[in-house]
Amino acid sequence: MAAVAVTKVAQRARLGTRSELMKRLGRPLLALPAYQAIPAIADAPPTFTEVGVRYTHYAEDSIDQDAVIFGATDRYDIDITQLWIEAPVGASWSVALDVQNDYQTGASPWYVGVQENGEPGVIMSGASIQDNRVEVGVTTRYFWADGNAGFSASHSDEDDYEATALAFDASWNTAGDARTWSTSFSSSKDSVSPTQGVIPVFIDEEDLDTQSGYFGVSQILSRTAIARIGLSYTVSEGYLSDPYKLRDQRPDSHERLSVSAGYRRFLVDADASLQIDYRYYADSWGTDSHTLEVAWAQNLPQGLLTPYFRYYTQREADFFGVIADVTAPHYADDYRLSSYGAVTIGARWAIALADSWTLELEAERYMTDAKWGVFDGDAAPALVDFWRGTVGVIWRFD
Amino acid sequence: MGGPASLALHSTNDTQVSFADLRDEVVSLLEAIEARYSRYRPNSIVSKINGRAGSGEFTELDGETMALLELADQLWQVSGGLFDITLGPLSQAWDFRPSGGADPTHIERALPAVGWDRVEWQDSRFRLPEYGMEIDLGGLVKEYAVDCAVRHLRASGITSGVIELAGDVGAIGSRPDGTPWRIAVQSPADPGSLCTVQLVDSAIATSGNYARRVEYQGKQYGHLLNPKTGWPVEGPTSVSVIDSHCLTAGAVATVACLNPVMDAKKWLEHAALPWLMVSGLDQVAGPIADRMTGTP
Repeated sequence: MAAVAVTKVAQRARLGTRSELMKRLGRPLLALPAYQAIPAIADAPPTFTEVGVRYTHYAEDSIDQDAVIFGATDRYDIDITQLWIEAPVGASWSVALDVQNDYQTGASPWYVGVQENGEPGVIMSGASIQDNRVEVGVTTRYFWADGNAGFSASHSDEDDYEATALAFDASWNTAGDARTWSTSFSSSKDSVSPTQGVIPVFIDEEDLDTQSGYFGVSQILSRTAIARIGLSYTVSEGYLSDPYKLRDQRPDSHERLSVSAGYRRFLVDADASLQIDYRYYADSWGTDSHTLEVAWAQNLPQGLLTPYFRYYTQREADFFGVIADVTAPHYADDYRLSSYGAVTIGARWAIALADSWTLELEAERYMTDAKWGVFDGDAAPALVDFWRGTVGVIWRFD
Repeated sequence: MGGPASLALHSTNDTQVSFADLRDEVVSLLEAIEARYSRYRPNSIVSKINGRAGSGEFTELDGETMALLELADQLWQVSGGLFDITLGPLSQAWDFRPSGGADPTHIERALPAVGWDRVEWQDSRFRLPEYGMEIDLGGLVKEYAVDCAVRHLRASGITSGVIELAGDVGAIGSRPDGTPWRIAVQSPADPGSLCTVQLVDSAIATSGNYARRVEYQGKQYGHLLNPKTGWPVEGPTSVSVIDSHCLTAGAVATVACLNPVMDAKKWLEHAALPWLMVSGLDQVAGPIADRMTGTP
């Protein structure tokens, strides 16, 4: 008897569905080089097609009535739907198509004034805004033994905003595959043409050009530890103000620099990994910030559960004022440019439903307060808290 | 390691690499592994441990040996004691070499020196407490050697290749045309192949009771022994398992062959890897068998 049977173990390895028995047998071998990274898999195109759908609901808490001078207290709700498909093409290429739809409703702060009690208060945008955005992106990726490179193009369209972006990224391994270098470049051209509605706007159409670059390296430190560091630089030229805010006149140039670092340590006995990430950010508007995230990725029979905690603190922009100084060359009362601190608590859960299906769940709570920050600055009255929940299903097939 | 070996290399991302040099390096690598772990080499660490059995003297283990012994320990635990690398003394009763024979009267005398639960570890120090005890890593080392060779070839820039050591196979990447490697699984019934599996960056290992056999009182016995009875097991004829690495595939296949057929099926389903089991001469079962398509 002779016959042909087709089995793709590389696919199983990618799905991460190893049984508890195989995990147990694999643990003693982690110390041996032959059972550490398998670069050929890491830098091989997918051997299967992946189709995914993900829905995210983002809901901002209502603004405190005491902080509102006029307008609705409801803030933004956004429904985000993502669809994607990625498929191998030949032995060395893959192609991916991503489509995303955002549907946004609610109100946002128009400007900050002074209440009767002398405290700053927010004038909201009034009637609820509704907006829909659609983004379509295509990525092609080439794989070789020690690395891969991708090129992507995307276009996003909504009533008052249009953006087109091109991006290139590459990563490659050296030092016996213990070190991975990564780089990326992107360029986007945006056009804003605000809709004339309840809020008066003062521009017809403006453009914005943005270029961005990243360079980073990750290094396997031991059989259970890996670290990375990266540097990114972004420059934008053009219209950078928010046309839907009354008192918002920002510089027409914005340079941003960030340094990020991360550390992952797999704890064999716990069958889990500790993940620590830090980012420092500074920009030409005088803002700088620190972000620290700690996550614990726990392997469970039901999948990978990753609770995480993130702390963020930023210094206000040079031209920020709780009550904007409209006599200055540049001014803004946007709470996102103020000094504040924020914490995020959340969890991700990836559940292998069957051999080729994965369910993804995520929920997080974001809370912010001027007092939680480490930098000086007056508290903006419209700081936002929100909930975000995501559910996704991924199907992989030959 | 007592079996034929073959190596096929097809592409590399480093034009400076010589296939002939790589072949020589792989041969040296395999010889070094055999020198370290063969119980027939007087200077191997296995011989050192066995030679000190009953003397009270510990042997200091290097990280590699400790990892292999820890795997043997895990396999002993999860197999309910069926996978046991201390079977050496039973060779007095069962000699599966071509010129060998069987004399079960020696079992009773040999069994007291068998039992993984009796070995002693103190951190990285290891010893066999009773004179006559022996360990034999032969059930793991061939598959481990395949994984080491694959690792070395990948690190040397090979992106497409296959190495086979006596039926255990490691595949690097896919064939140069991008299609999977096609690996024949030997039939226990005849010299031909049972089926062909397609592999990309993975390994297949086969364990069986059909290749090395001995006759006793008119009955054929396979070489896999039950450490509790000292007699050959009567399990599947052969089991093939596919995994990302040959050592883990081979370990799962071997434990399956140590069990009766029904228990072997449960074990293989528990491992949740692709498997193919032959019981009797031609009864095939398992996910690989289910995906057999046609007869070329």
